Amino acid sequence: MLDLSSRHAKLIFAGVALTMGLFIFFPVYWLVISSFKSSQELYRITPTLFPTTWTLDHFRTALTRGHLPLHLFNSLVVSLSSAAINTTMAVYAGYSFAKYRYFGRKPVMLLMLSAQMFPFGLLLITIYPQLTSWGLLDTRAGLVLSYVVFALPVATYMLYSYFSQVPNELIEAARADGASDLRIFHTIVLPVSLPPIITVFLYSFMWSWNDLLYSLTLIVSEDKRTVAPGLLLTYLNESNADWGGAMAASLMAALPVMVGFILLQRYFIQGVTAGAVK
Amino acid sequence: MAADAATVATPPVPRRSSHARRGGLKAAERRFGMLLLVPALVAFCGVILLPFAKALGLSLFKYTIDMDGPEFIGLGNFARVLGDAAVRGSFVTTLVFVGLTTACSIFLGLVWALIMNQPFRGQSALRGVSLLPWIMPATVAAFLWGWIFNARFGLINAASLQLGLIDFPVAWLSTPYGAMAAVVITKTWLSIPLFMAFFLAGLQSMDQEQIDAARADGAQNWDVLKDHVIPHLRPVLLVTVVLGVIGNLQHFDTIWALTAGGPVRATTVLSVQVYRLAFEQWDIGMAATVGVLWVATIMPPAYFYLRHLMKGVE
Repeated sequence: MLDLSSRHAKLIFAGVALTMGLFIFFPVYWLVISSFKSSQELYRITPTLFPTTWTLDHFRTALTRGHLPLHLFNSLVVSLSSAAINTTMAVYAGYSFAKYRYFGRKPVMLLMLSAQMFPFGLLLITIYPQLTSWGLLDTRAGLVLSYVVFALPVATYMLYSYFSQVPNELIEAARADGASDLRIFHTIVLPVSLPPIITVFLYSFMWSWNDLLYSLTLIVSEDKRTVAPGLLLTYLNESNADWGGAMAASLMAALPVMVGFILLQRYFIQGVTAGAVK
Repeated sequence: MAADAATVATPPVPRRSSHARRGGLKAAERRFGMLLLVPALVAFCGVILLPFAKALGLSLFKYTIDMDGPEFIGLGNFARVLGDAAVRGSFVTTLVFVGLTTACSIFLGLVWALIMNQPFRGQSALRGVSLLPWIMPATVAAFLWGWIFNARFGLINAASLQLGLIDFPVAWLSTPYGAMAAVVITKTWLSIPLFMAFFLAGLQSMDQEQIDAARADGAQNWDVLKDHVIPHLRPVLLVTVVLGVIGNLQHFDTIWALTAGGPVRATTVLSVQVYRLAFEQWDIGMAATVGVLWVATIMPPAYFYLRHLMKGVE
């Protein structure tokens, strides 16, 4: 698209690309090397750009201080459950919106989509007493339930826009063969829809895993805490901050989403921009 | 029973009966379609719609931790909010944060998309890796940038000292402007990848012949960008601006983890303000009121976004 045949254009392009590349990637690099540097090397006025010695000390302390393994486990349980529940509900709702016509369909859809403008913090004000009255405050189940807020509307829309593209002929043909609608959906539509469903699953998982606001507020006990508030409460309430430990713990906290993303990124990019770019 | 027998006894008229059967099937289909929606709808109403309605209602009540129940005071909270300079200040802070962050991340996202759209070796791999910041937990991003901005051992101070930009280390996060800059930079860093993905998707549908024709007419890079690429991306730009504004208005996590709204109130945006009112001062009524004003702020961009999303829905 850009013509880089002139030296002038080449120089500007390289300059901009390098600066932006540094801004995007250098912090990630810094996170990684900071967690492998020795404390001695870490706390220097002029930092080294490459560790002179590599050490696992920070990972060791990060795993023993606080309750990182427990928090990681809690996050995994909460995020997997929340992703499974939200994806399941969104799959059926998205299909319903895409392939059926009934009274009230469009207004309900608009209402669900408009939920994106309900501030999460405002909802939390009433979700908190609601969960208390159901006896679900400070439980992982309550947190899973509250994550419907983040994922359900967007997930439903993403799957709606995918299912809309599934040809009607496919469904009509199966109907003509006498298959029930439920059967058609489960045996014909679902198998060809795995990529977007995986995207939505990962999307919901990521929201739950990364959330701080809800997990910080709705979970009080140390043994049920998830990883984001766990990090915050372990490393920020200290007078002499343990930055090496914080970096190592951060890296471990980011790893699960990073791995899931690297494995599935191809589907992911398509799914997230679907509907918005036509 | 008798009616059934009568129905059975009536001789079938083929055409009409098939038509009726078709109609019955349609109704059954419709019912099935509605049934599929039920779980999501129940969850939506219970966890999103009902809490939202209740929160709107609470803005009309005085309700603090030491009270037995909410007490109706009409628009009293709104009068208090508008008379409170600190709360008014958080609207300005929000405007600054949302404006700067949205502008920076969209501009840089577009620039990076243009770079990633050029053919070079390893392009697709680099595109994928560019999305890394986006999937970072906000808390992790806050820690990372907090370390980079650290007053004693931070990278920014070290680099600025080396380059002679400053004579003494600066405690960035303890100064109002420094803290705001840190928060904006961190959120921008987190948002660039998503916007890049949007712009890349938009760039892919660009007509190469149109550009070639412009080139043949002597258009330079800048002309091509200004006259062809940007106009082509206008719909995507609209979506990203709206998404950016909504997302940044909502944003809480990085700010809370990086500055907790401080120093003093320098980075206390609406989300932080509502959180503090509700869960630190336990003044639920006031928190709801600020939240309602917050909804009013989100509504205009959300309206455009919804209209865009619903455009294709028959």
